[in-house]
Amino acid sequence: MAPVKPKLQVDLGGLIMANPVTTASGTFAAGREYADFYDLKTLGAVTTKGVSRDPWAGNDSPRIAETPSGMLNSIGLQNPGVEAFCAGPLKWLAEQDVPVIVNVSGHSLEEYAAVIERLEDEPAVRAYEVNISCPNVDAGGMTFGTDPAQAAQVTRLCRAATKRPLIVKLTPNVTDVTLIAQHVADAGADALSLINTLLGMAVDARTRRPKLARVVGGLSGPAVKPVALRMVWQVHQAVEVPILGMGGIMTAEDAIEFMLCGATAVAAGTVNFVNPHAGQELVRGIEQYCIDNGVADVNELVGALQA
Amino acid sequence: MCNEDIKFQELGQVLSNECIAPNVYVMEITAPRICEAARPGQFVHVKVADNPVQLLRMPFGVYDCNPQIGSIEICFQVLGEGTRQLSTLSIGERVDVLGPIGNGWSMPQGTGHALIISGGLGAAPMNLLARELCARGCTVDIVMGGPSSERLVCRERLAKSALASGGKLLVSTDDGSEGLHGFCTQISDELLRQEGQDYDYICVCGPGPMERNAVRLPLELGIYTEASFEKLMACGIGACLSCIVETVDGRKRCCVDGPVFDVAKVVW
Repeated sequence: MAPVKPKLQVDLGGLIMANPVTTASGTFAAGREYADFYDLKTLGAVTTKGVSRDPWAGNDSPRIAETPSGMLNSIGLQNPGVEAFCAGPLKWLAEQDVPVIVNVSGHSLEEYAAVIERLEDEPAVRAYEVNISCPNVDAGGMTFGTDPAQAAQVTRLCRAATKRPLIVKLTPNVTDVTLIAQHVADAGADALSLINTLLGMAVDARTRRPKLARVVGGLSGPAVKPVALRMVWQVHQAVEVPILGMGGIMTAEDAIEFMLCGATAVAAGTVNFVNPHAGQELVRGIEQYCIDNGVADVNELVGALQA
Repeated sequence: MCNEDIKFQELGQVLSNECIAPNVYVMEITAPRICEAARPGQFVHVKVADNPVQLLRMPFGVYDCNPQIGSIEICFQVLGEGTRQLSTLSIGERVDVLGPIGNGWSMPQGTGHALIISGGLGAAPMNLLARELCARGCTVDIVMGGPSSERLVCRERLAKSALASGGKLLVSTDDGSEGLHGFCTQISDELLRQEGQDYDYICVCGPGPMERNAVRLPLELGIYTEASFEKLMACGIGACLSCIVETVDGRKRCCVDGPVFDVAKVVW
């Protein structure tokens, strides 16, 4: 007898996903580049690269550096601005029949709200991920995410601008992530994304120069997974809202570990650069794990760590 | 927008991995679909299979395609840990190959006399170009520069195309061990200043400073010129925005908007 198909559907703060897998913002553009490799409908949702009100040129290059089991990036949220985003990448993505989470970025409080207001007119957008954690921009970005009061203020403003599910993406570059998580949840976030990249550096000893033009950048990849798991676990114990877990997920087993620590859904990030089929493979791998381990509903795994 | 050409991910097998000069290797890999689809100037994004420490792929211009075997060849220099590992692979070992990627050389219809200028390993992506231009009946002159005689890599195949097309191959070396003791751009500039020269298409590939020098005179003379760029890149498919090239039309992605650019559009 064929094994019963496990239930993979999850509810991420009101966003219903057919399975727990989405993409980490900034690693998947708006999906089009990956459609050469698999049908995006396979994913639970596509999370787009950060979108701001006005076009951003991003940082100078070099913008990346490879580090052991990871990489540093300082792209700097290069994007064409929300209007061009709606007319181009979003228009294409809207036809792919997959829930769209738009990552929203801003230099100021007003900018976050302006982006959401414009996107409210786009029916394809099913949820927002508010980026208060990008380490690669001077104004806004991570500065909002490291101060509990400011993080709550951005969240309240965005909350007022939409009834759609509101996910807030947190930075790991803080002393106590649960404090920020609590403030953001209290301010009306429906879910929390964690973690964004860890602030890091790479240096060329021969030239005595930094490897990134902006000197510092965000570390991602398997090197950060233990930190990410720890933060997901801490936040899961501290707040009630569901968690979108990410940070170095390369395999379905990694994804399961995040769910055991309390993530309701997971995002594939740096792995998309390594293996363009990764999203699809994660979905299949999670399903296979459930079959192999007698898990009838993937939600049984959420927070099921036996600690 | 992104290149509409289809890309393939193939788990290839190493057919040969030969050290052709100090620290320089030519590797032949089975990749039948990429071999069939690749055009001159496109590249492949390569990863040593199952390497959890060096995550990112490495871009290499396609040096050659062997349709009878369904294989491609790449030429690489050992520069870091990733290329070092690549250099140690034996026949039969696996390499994860993504490609073909990028726009490639435009090879405008009606090109009569082309000049190819390469520096160092920039010679590799010129091989398919020279062969195709020759096949189209274009005369191809090639100028190659390298650190030394033994490191004028990929020379035999390039020479074959140049001669078959009725053109010539000229070389320079940094150490004077062969050809002009100096830079390849001195040779190309001299060719371009000759009376009666009739070049209508120039292609450049090499290190950044060499490319900057090589394109200066062609730009002055208004000859249509393309250069292939190499930038640090992560995804190689246009998503990550790591590999930007500054152009008069804004920041472009080296991987899918390039790697070949009209030099008149590049902000040098």
